[in-house]
Amino acid sequence: MANLLDRTRDALSRWRRRFRGDLKESTDASFLTAPRFFGLLYGPIDRSLPIDQALRKALAHRLPAHVGWRHALGGVAYLLFMVLVVTGVLLSLHYRPSSEEAYGSIQHIVNGVTFGWLVRDVHVWSATLIVIVVLAHMARVFFDGAYKPPRETSWLIGLLLLFVVIAFGATGYLLPWDQWAYWTVTEVLNTVAVFPLLGGLIVTALTGDVFVSGATLSRFFALHVIILPWIAFALLIFHFRMIRTQGVAPPRGAVESDTPGVPFFPHHLLRSFLVTVVVLAIVITLATLFPRPLAELASPVEPPNELVSTWVVVDVSLALIRFFGPWGFTFFTLLGLSMALIPLFDRHPERRHRLVTALGVVFFVGFAILWLVGHQLRFSGPDVGAPPPTEIAEPEQSGAE
Amino acid sequence: MKRGWIAVAVATVAVFGESHGALSITVQDAPPQVAAADTVYGCVLCHADKRKAFIEGIHSERGIGCHDCHGGDPTGLETPTAHTGTYVGTPDKLATVELCGSCHSDPDRMRQYGLHVGQIAEFRTSRHGQLLLGDRNTDAPTCTDCHDAHTILTPDNARSRVHPTNIPGTCAGCHQDENLMAQYGLTIDQFELYRESAHGVGLFEGQNFAAPSCVGCHGSHAALPPQVTEIANVCGQCHVLVRRAFDDGPHGAAAQAGSLPGCTACHSNHQTERVPPDAIAETCTECHAADSRAARLGIQAEELIVGAENDLLAADEAIEELVVAGWQVSDLRFRYQTALTDYLQIAELQHSLDVEQLEDLSRRVGSISRDIRTTAEVSEEQRWEHKLLLVPVWFLTLSAIVLGWFKLRGLKE
Repeated sequence: MANLLDRTRDALSRWRRRFRGDLKESTDASFLTAPRFFGLLYGPIDRSLPIDQALRKALAHRLPAHVGWRHALGGVAYLLFMVLVVTGVLLSLHYRPSSEEAYGSIQHIVNGVTFGWLVRDVHVWSATLIVIVVLAHMARVFFDGAYKPPRETSWLIGLLLLFVVIAFGATGYLLPWDQWAYWTVTEVLNTVAVFPLLGGLIVTALTGDVFVSGATLSRFFALHVIILPWIAFALLIFHFRMIRTQGVAPPRGAVESDTPGVPFFPHHLLRSFLVTVVVLAIVITLATLFPRPLAELASPVEPPNELVSTWVVVDVSLALIRFFGPWGFTFFTLLGLSMALIPLFDRHPERRHRLVTALGVVFFVGFAILWLVGHQLRFSGPDVGAPPPTEIAEPEQSGAE
Repeated sequence: MKRGWIAVAVATVAVFGESHGALSITVQDAPPQVAAADTVYGCVLCHADKRKAFIEGIHSERGIGCHDCHGGDPTGLETPTAHTGTYVGTPDKLATVELCGSCHSDPDRMRQYGLHVGQIAEFRTSRHGQLLLGDRNTDAPTCTDCHDAHTILTPDNARSRVHPTNIPGTCAGCHQDENLMAQYGLTIDQFELYRESAHGVGLFEGQNFAAPSCVGCHGSHAALPPQVTEIANVCGQCHVLVRRAFDDGPHGAAAQAGSLPGCTACHSNHQTERVPPDAIAETCTECHAADSRAARLGIQAEELIVGAENDLLAADEAIEELVVAGWQVSDLRFRYQTALTDYLQIAELQHSLDVEQLEDLSRRVGSISRDIRTTAEVSEEQRWEHKLLLVPVWFLTLSAIVLGWFKLRGLKE
């Protein structure tokens, strides 16, 4: 097998060398027109913008020797983000953001557009996987102690990116406008409204009505496709810039080293390519085998018999709400937000604060447990608007006589 | 100081109100007569509890006072001066009927309230009326036993004893009294049976006031069990189409001849229940021999109805599957409604025992159901075809992994 592959590889390289040689030695004008024309165009551009030089510099970049497979998580998150962008753009060609047309347009995408089902389900599954991958990336950074100086800003930007990813998913969750989406969003907004001071204001601003309606859908759509992408791209550029400037953090307890390690090209790029291929295959497999089911058209007056969650954050949120009530949801949200403060307390390059470790373990392990538990539950319909249980009326016995 | 200004304002309004019609609405909004007359109404000095009960009722709202029923002088502040003249005290059951009838049988009085005046005449025809007015038997109820003596509420008031959901309980007040009912050879299980019946479930659990309570079948003031030949007519008041089909069939003729207790033969009376489609043949054998032509007809009807029901359920499940798969199902739902209408017609026409019509309707239900299920099968096939995409995807992925792995190993070396 290895022999066969080696021979194939040799044959391919021989063919490539021969093709290049033929190209260099050729005097056929028509054969050379295309590369020359490209050269005429590209030459002046490259002189004013040294793209070629920048590309060579990027490829010649060397990463620290400790950079390995586990450092691919950040790249996977970025890959999934780009998958979401591409599939999102494709979906937006057919999606109609109004309460009258949204549900029908989703049905059209799934059954009327060529490979629409695949685009939609890849979008849906990428939205779930990106949360898991971002959290895994965050956990790797946390347990490596990579949030310590001088990388506090990078950690903070990463946290903001996690928030943006969740905001993307939350705003996108309503867009199918089916019963599960409608009533899940209703329940989560009702929970957020319990937050002191800001809760009511946030819910009013997001809902745009006295209940979740077409106005809410418009707001969620605008946030999902216009406002959040700009914020996400800005934060991503900042995040990448910080990593490039400060370099990849050394493993926990190790000292920063200036010695050049693995070359970015082809070593790391090949690893990234392999991870990319595997991740894309996994996403397509999940999308094909487990398509996101659609419930009935959203009805504000008739809660569904059960709420089926189709997103990891909803699993966690509904598990928190059902088991611990609004305050459990609030506590866990605050726990997540408190991660932003960790670099302020834990600054020693080698030692780790016990409280910080406990905080991280509770957050990451808690999230995983809540997700697993929440995903197993099939929630009965929400309480909001549900008719009270009927009882057989006993005859009135007025004591007038 | 502030209170002083308020007092001046109130006084000004009061004076202004006396001399100007514009404020006369204040006078019209005054409480009803009983409350206004309380200051000179001597009855309440001793009977405060009765007053409390009475003012909640409709008679109080209409301005009727104690003396209108009990006589006497309401201005009297002590018993000797109040219980004088026409004073009748607490009327007995017979007198109560006459007392209530004195107003409720008067068309001139009742016209303004839109009430009919036949209650007393109807009551005389009822079993209760026959016992009370004919036999002077005070076991029988009088007006106040159902409507209360003082807190007389209209039937649309949920607290009323004659509100639809309260009527079964009101009747059960006597009809669950074992000792009382034993004297008349009546059972006491009607309320429990009714509560479990289709009608009882509809009324109590569904809060469907169209579902009949006791009075729906027996009448209210003219309460009497329907005769054998009347049963189909009683049920047919609501189940119009079923009754028409029943009359057209052999059972209808038997019921009219008095040899079959109408609808109750299969559905019972108080425990009125739907005969499940898969129990039709068994129900037939309760009267007909198992190898008779009638029993075979029952088996045939059961097969057709069960088949149609299964077709309908399968169509419903197929639509649910299509909804989940993201299909537009409005057309299919419309066709399902057509099938459902046909099925409901089967439910009615089975009472005529016209097998040809049942076959025709059952065929139509089956045809629509097949169409819907075929669409669901197409959806299922599509989902299966989607999975074929994984073959090239994983072939390319595994190829890339293998090639990349060798390249990476080569780089390390």
